[in-house]
Amino acid sequence: MAGDINLNDLLRRYRTHPFEDYVVETPHTGRLQLKVEQGQEVKGPSGKWGQKPGTLLFVLERERNPKKVYSRNTGIISEVRTDLHEAFVEAREPVLTVQHRLNKEEIIDRILKEVLSIYAAPQRARYFLVPEIAAQIEKNIEKGVSIKKGDEILIMSLMKRDTILEYDGEPGVIYKVYFQSGQTVEQGQSLLGVCPPAKLQYVQKVVQRIRTEWDE
Amino acid sequence: MPKERVLIANRGEIAIRVIKALKELGMEYVVVYTREDAESMHVRIAQEEQGQFKNAFRISNYKDPNEIFAVADEAKCTAIHPGYGFFSENFRFARRAALRTRPLVFIGPRWEVIRGLGSKINTKRIAKELNIPVIPGSDSPIYNEIEAEEVAEELFFLQKEQDISNPSVLVKASAGGGGMGIEEVHHLDAFRRVYRRIQNYAKRQFGDEGVLIEQCLKDYHHLEVQLLGSQHGEVVHFGTRNCTIQSTGRQKRVEVAPGFDPHLYEYPFDAEKLLDEIVRHSVKLAEYVGYDSVGTWEWVVTRSGQPYLLEVNTRIQVENEISAYISRIKKRTSETNLIREQIRVAFGDRLGFDQSDIYFEGTSIELRIVAEDPKRGFTPWCGTITRLDFPDYEWLRLYTHVPQDRPYRIPTEYDPNLCLAIVWGADTEEAKQRASTVLSQTVIKGENSAGEPIVTNLDYLNERLDDVLQF
Amino acid sequence: MSANGIDMEDVSKLLNALIDRINYLIDIKKDPEWADLDELLERAIALRNVQFELSGTEYRNRLERIEDRVSFLEDRVAEKLTPAEIVNIVRSPQRFTLQDILDNVYDSYTELGGDGERNVDPAIVVARATISRRVKNKIYSHQVMVIGHEKGRGEEFRNGGSAKPWGNAKALQYMKVAENEGIPIHFFIFTPGSFPIEDYPGAAQQIARNIYAMARLRVPMVSFISEGGSGGAEAIGLSDMRLMGSRGYYSVISPEGAAAIEGKIREGERVPKELIEKCAEQLHMTAEDNLKLGTIDKVIDEPRLGARRDDFAFFRRLRYEMIKATDEVVLSTKSFKTFRAYALRRKKAEESESTTFDVVVNWSLTDAETKRLLAQRSRKYRDMGTSFVIEPEESSLPGLKDVKEGLKNCYYEARYGLLKTHRRNFQKVLAEVSGEGSVIIRTVTEPVKAAYDFVFPEPERPQRLHRANGVDTQSIFLEEWEQYVSPLANEDRTVTCPNAEKYGCQDLWVPDLYGESCGVCPTCGHHFPLEYQWYLKNLFDKDSFQEFNEHISSGNPLNFEGFGPRLKRDMQRTGRHSAMITADAKIRGIKVVVAMLYSNFRSGTVGTAEGEKFVRACDRARITRRPLLAYIHTTGGIRIQEGTLGVVQMPKCTLAVREYIDSGGLYIVVYDNNSYAGPVASFLGCSPYQFAIRSSRIGFAGPRVIRETTGEDVPPDYHAARNALSRGHIQGIWDRKDFRKNLYDALLHMGSPSLYYR
Repeated sequence: MAGDINLNDLLRRYRTHPFEDYVVETPHTGRLQLKVEQGQEVKGPSGKWGQKPGTLLFVLERERNPKKVYSRNTGIISEVRTDLHEAFVEAREPVLTVQHRLNKEEIIDRILKEVLSIYAAPQRARYFLVPEIAAQIEKNIEKGVSIKKGDEILIMSLMKRDTILEYDGEPGVIYKVYFQSGQTVEQGQSLLGVCPPAKLQYVQKVVQRIRTEWDE
Repeated sequence: MPKERVLIANRGEIAIRVIKALKELGMEYVVVYTREDAESMHVRIAQEEQGQFKNAFRISNYKDPNEIFAVADEAKCTAIHPGYGFFSENFRFARRAALRTRPLVFIGPRWEVIRGLGSKINTKRIAKELNIPVIPGSDSPIYNEIEAEEVAEELFFLQKEQDISNPSVLVKASAGGGGMGIEEVHHLDAFRRVYRRIQNYAKRQFGDEGVLIEQCLKDYHHLEVQLLGSQHGEVVHFGTRNCTIQSTGRQKRVEVAPGFDPHLYEYPFDAEKLLDEIVRHSVKLAEYVGYDSVGTWEWVVTRSGQPYLLEVNTRIQVENEISAYISRIKKRTSETNLIREQIRVAFGDRLGFDQSDIYFEGTSIELRIVAEDPKRGFTPWCGTITRLDFPDYEWLRLYTHVPQDRPYRIPTEYDPNLCLAIVWGADTEEAKQRASTVLSQTVIKGENSAGEPIVTNLDYLNERLDDVLQF
Repeated sequence: MSANGIDMEDVSKLLNALIDRINYLIDIKKDPEWADLDELLERAIALRNVQFELSGTEYRNRLERIEDRVSFLEDRVAEKLTPAEIVNIVRSPQRFTLQDILDNVYDSYTELGGDGERNVDPAIVVARATISRRVKNKIYSHQVMVIGHEKGRGEEFRNGGSAKPWGNAKALQYMKVAENEGIPIHFFIFTPGSFPIEDYPGAAQQIARNIYAMARLRVPMVSFISEGGSGGAEAIGLSDMRLMGSRGYYSVISPEGAAAIEGKIREGERVPKELIEKCAEQLHMTAEDNLKLGTIDKVIDEPRLGARRDDFAFFRRLRYEMIKATDEVVLSTKSFKTFRAYALRRKKAEESESTTFDVVVNWSLTDAETKRLLAQRSRKYRDMGTSFVIEPEESSLPGLKDVKEGLKNCYYEARYGLLKTHRRNFQKVLAEVSGEGSVIIRTVTEPVKAAYDFVFPEPERPQRLHRANGVDTQSIFLEEWEQYVSPLANEDRTVTCPNAEKYGCQDLWVPDLYGESCGVCPTCGHHFPLEYQWYLKNLFDKDSFQEFNEHISSGNPLNFEGFGPRLKRDMQRTGRHSAMITADAKIRGIKVVVAMLYSNFRSGTVGTAEGEKFVRACDRARITRRPLLAYIHTTGGIRIQEGTLGVVQMPKCTLAVREYIDSGGLYIVVYDNNSYAGPVASFLGCSPYQFAIRSSRIGFAGPRVIRETTGEDVPPDYHAARNALSRGHIQGIWDRKDFRKNLYDALLHMGSPSLYYR
C-alpha cells in the first residue's frame, strides 16, 4: 500500500532521540528581562482550554508596555542568551531554546506526517484557512472535516495578494493542521495532513500501535 | 549643536534615496528592516557605513509604529522620515511622534494637515469652499438609503445633460481607500442593491457604514501638481506630472513631467491654460491650509478639458524626482532634490527661494521596473534574481534596493518593485527615445522555485511609452 | 420478646434514635470533639454490639445514662444557638424536606413532571395538592399548587435543592397553570441557591422571568422558607405572605461565601471557621432577624433545635399556618370588615394554641379582588426595606410631595394622553408638506463619532503630552475634539490587546486607544473598559443629563462590621451617595429616564438605596410615559453587607419595572463590562430588550463560584456577551461607538404607542 512506512524504524529513531528543540525569539524589539536560567524546567500552557499560561520566560518592554512571553512547550532550557538580559534587543532575536521531550501524542503526530497525504505550501507565504473550513474545524474537532478535489481550503497571502488555494489531493478528512493562521510557511512545508477514507483504518492501526509500543 | 539623526521608517529604493539626501544635508541616519529584507541594499548600505553607533535595527514589521518609536528612542534619533506608503500619510503616527514624552520630528506635514487632507471628503469640502472643481457627488458620507438614491439620481441626470454616453456612478465605502469597497453602477434601478452591499461591506470592514457616491469618470488623464511649503507660510510649485499610464489596480508604471506637451501633441483643449489652472488651484488650497512640506495634488482631466481635484498626497511620491529633474532653482548650483527640501523644511528651514526662482527645462520620464506579468493581470512574480544590469548615462538616474553582486530573493511580503529608472531629455521626443534605450539595454535574469525564468514588465513599459502624454 | 424481658426491637429503635440525636448535635456544632460528642457517639455505637451480653437492666441503665447526657447537651446547644449553627441545622440531613411536608401537611398530592429521578430537574418539585381543615367536625378541602425545592435524602440527583435553570422554568410553567385555574400557590423554599449555569434558559435570566411573572400573578401566593439562599430563593419566593421556620435561614449569600469575600480568601484556601461564624451573624440571616428587617411576615415556631422529619406536631402547625396565611391573603382582598372579623377570631383562637378553624374561606377571587391582591402585593414589596432608606428630607412640608406627584400625573395625562392623537396627526401633515422626513432620518442615523468627520483644525501646535505622574492631568485631546475624552488617555505608553495572539492586533498607544478609538481595538474590535462618565458625555444630548434623587444615600443598615468606612471611602472617592445614578436625559431630543449602576461605588452592587432609586426612576418613567434605560456599567450583584434587605430589592425593583412595562413603557437594558448575579436575575434580566456592549460579560455567578458549586471549570469566555447572545440571554450586541445611534433606533422602533413621543 502506498504510503506504508516502516514503523519500527521510525519508532527506533524517535526512541534514540525523543526531543525537539523550540527556539524562542523576541516577537519585537524592546528591553529584555530574562526570567529563566539554563537547565531550568519550564511548563507549557495548561488548563482545559490552555487558558493558564506556561512558565514566564522573559519580559520584553517596548514603549512602556512590559510584555510577558511564556513558554509554549514543556521542557528544559537547554540554551539561554544571558548576554541579552537587560539589553535592548532587536526583533526575531533567538533568546533561548527549550528542549522538549516528545510525548506519545506528539510522536503519533510526527509519524502520521509520514502516513497522511500532506498538502504542502506551494510558495513561501503566509497562510490562512478559508473561514468556512476554519469554522468547521473549530466545531467538529472530533469528527474532522471532509474535503475533496476542488474545494477552496486555504488562502495564500503573497505579495499583498490573497490567492485562494483549491485542494488537489485525494479526498479525505483533514486530520491535522500544521500551521497557525497567518503564519509564514516555507515552500514545501506541510500545511494540512489529509487522511483518505480508505486509509483511515490503516492510520488508526498505526496510531494504535504507537500507543501500545511507546513508553513515556 | 549635535547632528540631527533621522530614522528612516521605510524600505527599498526610497530608503536609499533618503539616506542619500540626509548625507548631503550632513545628517545621520538609522534604518530599520525586517528579517525578510536583511539582504536589501538599504540595509547593506547602512551596515557598511556604520560608524560610532548602530544604525540598522531589525524590527518585526514596518507597519508597527511601536517598533519604529522604540528603535528611534534606542538609537537616539531626533526625527523620522516615513518615505512613502507605511506611515507617510498616517496622522496618528505623526501625532504620536509630536506628542509623545520624547518628541520626534515627523518629516512631513504637521499631523493636523495630514488628517485634514487625508480625508477625501474633507478635502472635497474645503476645495468646494475655495471654488476648486471636484468630482460631482456627495461631499459627506451618506448613511441613509433614500438620500443616497437622490444623489445617484442627480448624478445620472447631470451626465445625461452633458450627453455622456454610458453614464455611471461609483459607490464607495467612505472609510475605505486604495480601491477597496468600490463598485460602479450603470442604472439607477441597480443602485439600491449595490448601495446596500457596499454599506454592509463598509460596516464589516471599517466599522462605519458611511458611503460616498460619485460620478464615474472615464477617458481622463491623471495629472499631478508638485508643491513644496514651509513652516513659514511659503508655498511654491514644481510644475506638473502626467501619471496616466497605470497597471490594473491603479498602479502607476510610467510617469512624465511636465503634465502635457502642447508643442508635440494636439489636445482637445488649451493644455497650457489647463496646467496653469490646476497649479493655481493647488497652490490656493495649499496656502489656505498652511501646507508645510512636500505634497502632491492629484487631478483628473477629462477629454473635454474639465479638471477635477481628486485628492492630496501629503507625502513624497515615488515619482517626485521627474519634477525635480526638470526644475532648476536660480542661485542654486546643485540639482534640485525634493527629498532634501522636504527634510530641510521639516526642521523649520525657510525655502530660501520663491516661485520666480524656479524654472523648467526639458522632459523627464520615470519607468517603474517590476517583476510582474502584464499579460496575466500584472501578477507579481517571485523568485530569485541572479543578474541585474543597467546601462550608465549621465541623463539616467537609477534607484534599486536589489543587490547587483549576489543573487537576491524577492521577499514575498512586499511589492516586487525592482528598480526606478529616471531619464531626462531636452524635449519629450528625446526623453522617450532615451527611455526606450534604457529599457532595451537593461538585463534582468532570475528564476523561481519551479525553475521558470523571471517575468518583468520591461516590454510592457516599452510599448506604453508611445502613449505617453497623448489624449 | 427476648429472654431477659426486654423488647429488643424497641431498645434498638431507642438506641438508633439516640445515635441520630448525637449525630444531629455533631451536625449543628460541626465539630465532633465538642463536649466529647465523638466519644458519646462511640459509646452509643458500642452499646449496639453488647446488646446480648448485658442484662436488661444494665443495658437500660447505660442507655439512660447516654440519653441523659444527650438531653443535657441538647439543652446546652439550644440555650444559645448561633446563626452559624442555625445554618448547620438547615443543612443537616435530618432536617425535614419538602417530601415530609407533602406527606404530612397535605392530604393528598400528585407530583407534576416528576417521579424521583425522572424529572427535568429533581431539585424542583411541583405538585397539585389538597389541604384540608376541619370546621365543626366537617372536613373542607382546598386545591393548591405546591412548588418547592426538594433537597432529598442524600440522593445526588436532587442536587441539594439547587435548582437548574430549567427547574425554575418548570416552576414558572405551573405557576401559570395555577393562575389559569385560579388556585393559590404554596411555595416551599429549601435551597442553598440556584445552580449557577448559563445553559438555556440561564440561571439568572430564568429567575428574572419567574420574579417578573410572580409580580403580577393573579392568585394568592404563600411561601415558606426553610433555607432561603439568595437568588435561588427568590425564583419561587415572591409571594403575598412570606412565612419562615424559626430555625431556617434566609440570606443574601452563604456565610462561607461571605467569609471568602470579606476575608479575601483565595480559591482553594480554607476559610477560617471564626470568620464564617462572624459573617453568619453579620448577615442577619435568622428568622428573627428577617422578621425585624421586614423581609418576612411571620415566623413559624419549630422545635428548639429545629424540626426534623418526624416532628409531626410541627407539620400540624405548618398546615394550620399555611391555611391561615392563605386565608389572610384572600380575605385582605375582600372588604376590610370581613378581614377584621376573621383576624379577631383568629387571635382568640391562637391564644388557645388551637390548630383548628371555625370558618371556611373560599380561596378563589373575583376580578376586583384580584386587582386588590395585586395592588397590595405591589405596596407590600414597594414598602419593603424603605424604612432603611437614607433620604434627607427635601421639603419641610410633609405631604407636599404627594400633591406634587398628583399634579404631575394630571399634567402628563392631559399632555400625552389626550392630546397625543392630535399631535400625531399634526406631525404627519408636517412631514408630508415639507418633505422633511428623510432629512430628519439622516441626521439621526449617523454614528456617534464619524472618524473622518473632522473640521480643519487651526494650524497651531497643541501642547505636548506629559507622562501621567499625577501632576499633569489635563488631556491634550480635550480642546481638539471638544468632547469628553477619557482621563485614561493621558499617558504615553502602549497596551496589548487581549486578542493580540488571535488576531495579530498591534500594541495600542494609550492616547489613541482611549481618545479617538473610544477604547476599542481597531484591529479586532475588542472593547477596553471605559469609566462611566464617558457614557454620560457621549451617549446623551449635550447638557441634557439631569440627575434626580441624588440625595438618597447608601447606608449600613445591618451595621456590618468594617463596612461603614469602606462605604464612606467610596462616597468620597466618587462624590456620590450610592451605586445607582438616576437621571432625566435626552437622546436626539427624546426624553428618557436613565438608571445606571457603575463600578466605582461598591462594584455597582445593589442595596436598599439603589433599589429605591430604581423604583422611583420606574415610577417617574411611568408617569411621564418616557422610555426607561438601564445602563449597567457594572454590577457585582446584591450588596451582601445589607443581607436580605439587599435580596428583597430583586422582587421590589422587578415589581416596579413590571408595572412600568405594563403601563406601556419601553424598558431597555444595556450591559457593559461585568453584570452578574441578583440584578441580572431580576429587574435587569426581565427586560424584553437587553443588549450588551461588545466584550462585556453577563451571567449569574462568576467562574470561581461556579467552580466551587459545580466542581466544574468553565471556559474563559463562558460569560462573554457573544455566548450570552447564543444562549438567548440578550437580544443583541452593540459596539460602543454605535450605542447612541442604536439606542435612538430602539427608541424610535421599539415600545408601545403609549410612549409620550408617539
